[in-house]
Amino acid sequence: MSFIKVLILKFSSLRTQTMASSDKTINTDVPEKDVFAIHFLQSLSNLTTQNPFNSPDTTNYRARKIKKAAYVSMAKAAGGSSRLWSRALLGRAAKENNKIVRFARRKRKVTWKISSKRRSDQRAPEATDRLRNLVPGGGTMETSKLMEETAHYIKCLSMQVKVMQCLVDGLSPK
Amino acid sequence: MNSSSLLTPSSSSSPHLQSPATFDHDDFLHHIFSSTPWPSSVLDEAPPPTPDCAGAIPGFHHHDVDSRNQITMIPLSHNHPNDALFNGFSAGSLPFHLPQGSGGQAQTQSQATASTTTGGTTAPTQTKPKVRARRGQATDPHSIAERLRRERIAERMKSLQELVPNGNKTDKASMLDEIIDYVKFLQLQVKVLSMSRLGGAASVSSQISEDAGGSHENTSSSGENQTTAAAKMTEHQVAKLMEEDMGSAMQYLQGKGLCLMPISLATTISTATCASSRGLPLSPNLSTTTTIANGNGSSLVAVKDAPTVSKP
Repeated sequence: MSFIKVLILKFSSLRTQTMASSDKTINTDVPEKDVFAIHFLQSLSNLTTQNPFNSPDTTNYRARKIKKAAYVSMAKAAGGSSRLWSRALLGRAAKENNKIVRFARRKRKVTWKISSKRRSDQRAPEATDRLRNLVPGGGTMETSKLMEETAHYIKCLSMQVKVMQCLVDGLSPK
Repeated sequence: MNSSSLLTPSSSSSPHLQSPATFDHDDFLHHIFSSTPWPSSVLDEAPPPTPDCAGAIPGFHHHDVDSRNQITMIPLSHNHPNDALFNGFSAGSLPFHLPQGSGGQAQTQSQATASTTTGGTTAPTQTKPKVRARRGQATDPHSIAERLRRERIAERMKSLQELVPNGNKTDKASMLDEIIDYVKFLQLQVKVLSMSRLGGAASVSSQISEDAGGSHENTSSSGENQTTAAAKMTEHQVAKLMEEDMGSAMQYLQGKGLCLMPISLATTISTATCASSRGLPLSPNLSTTTTIANGNGSSLVAVKDAPTVSKP
């Protein structure tokens, strides 16, 4: 496992500055790169110990598993249950594995939900609807909450991409 | 015409409209009379009315209008909270905006505090303070909530704008499109990165973590260690797949970290790569080249690919 530790050290050296939350009122802080790295590498090693990769015919299957592991590790690293999208992602992944996952339900303060059906809102797939489809767990959210989740999701995604890119660069032979 | 006239709550006889007769904006009156009544429930979002303003309306009025040269409207219809409201009223004076921060808080408080009916001024036993309709603003609780909601969304859009590259669009719709495209792009990046080399990388890391001496199938990471036998096997496999379905052949190659390209292009790139020191970031790593003779005469070369994805 020393190799993994070397990799993690490499990450800390390549660390960019912390993504400070620019908005004072909205808190969208994202943990550092090495948190993502640790989770991802752990999930990867779990993945490979489960089923050894033997046949190249299952590349698609393997790629999908890796992608799922990436998302799950991202959701875990990004503060497992404090964000709506991470909970939705983990729930979705657990459902695929036929596992039931329970989250402690936070006390949500009652927000004034203005139903958009009041106005003539029968437009073609609007931009917010498309965004809802993209961001996990965005089906039943207010638009302002959706925006918040999108911001956090984008930050975590870009962090995950950086981690994976570093991993690929580090592990690819010269 | 007295545009800055103050609707002084005089104890005049007229129970309805207390506005002075000097108003010649008939449409303004029309607005008032035709607009919807307003329920008596106080808005929660509106700044809390100062307790003494309800009684001190006359003096308050004077102060207000003199300092600000605006028209304040006292809602009509005495004695019960059917205050008329208007929307989009403009009479040429400064419009009064709902203050976003604490800057205009004082103004708001003085302005939007307890408004009373005309009868209420004469009978100051009005217990329910209502928000006076400001000029240009509606005091309907629904519309105020709508306005707050819109502000919240705009605030978050601004923070999103800083995250997304190329986020200098002023239009909300195009900004949303930009955001959607960026999220899709990031997801695609994750997918590509997980597909191409990470398979080999995962197997390498598993090899190291298990500390096994035996060789796993290091497909893409050890491409250059492939013996010619393995290369031939790949070649045969690809040829077989190509006969059935080109897509599956491409997928198989992609899983190995290889891609197909015509020989002419490959030779051009290889010469370019050898010329430069390390090669362009996107030039493929020509560690494994296999020539596969295609059926219709053109030869294809399977080339290892470096999966660097960068947003232009």
